[in-house]
Amino acid sequence: MLILTRKLDEGIKLGDDITIIIIEVHGKHVKLGIDAPQNVKIYRKEIYDKVMSENIRSATATVEDFKGIKEQFK
Amino acid sequence: MVKFETLRFGLLKVKEDGIITFPEGILGFPAVKRYVLIDHKGTILRWLQAVDNPDIAFIVVEPKTVSSEYTMKIDAFAREFLQIESEKDLIVLVIIRVDNGKIAANLHGPLLINTNNMKGIQLILERVLPPAS
Repeated sequence: MLILTRKLDEGIKLGDDITIIIIEVHGKHVKLGIDAPQNVKIYRKEIYDKVMSENIRSATATVEDFKGIKEQFK
Repeated sequence: MVKFETLRFGLLKVKEDGIITFPEGILGFPAVKRYVLIDHKGTILRWLQAVDNPDIAFIVVEPKTVSSEYTMKIDAFAREFLQIESEKDLIVLVIIRVDNGKIAANLHGPLLINTNNMKGIQLILERVLPPAS
């Protein structure tokens, strides 16, 4: 992993189209400003990771799982 | 007709136009792009079965049935990606996980399907109302 040190109001370019700026630093909180084209998807990592891990855990659902809950969905 | 083997349902035969393509796959399964929806009598639950991988199938349901106040915003990217002309063409589904008989709905990652062109995408929502646990 590339690790860079940045100060307030400094930034990082990812390629030509994406800019990330350090807007505010307050204790453990860092506020970032991100400029990117509309087709670049930006998510908080923990939500992205949660959706992915839920998908992976759900993909092995069994017919018994389905039968066990179907009465609740009429 | 397209024929394919599945772990849970044996050999399936579906019409070509019944296949939903997720060009980006579903998060965690980027290489698995083609799915079919399987209905069952007596329940609104459905299976979303992968065409190209017999093992992968998700239990899915419309989110309103899990959370009556569920709302979601379809962003400009998804509109363009799915070439949405009318919201009437859309199906929204959430994946259900069953854990010892308990149900967890993946409300942060709804699946959006445009029935007009049978294209799908999984959205990732930062906020879900009401808050998902």
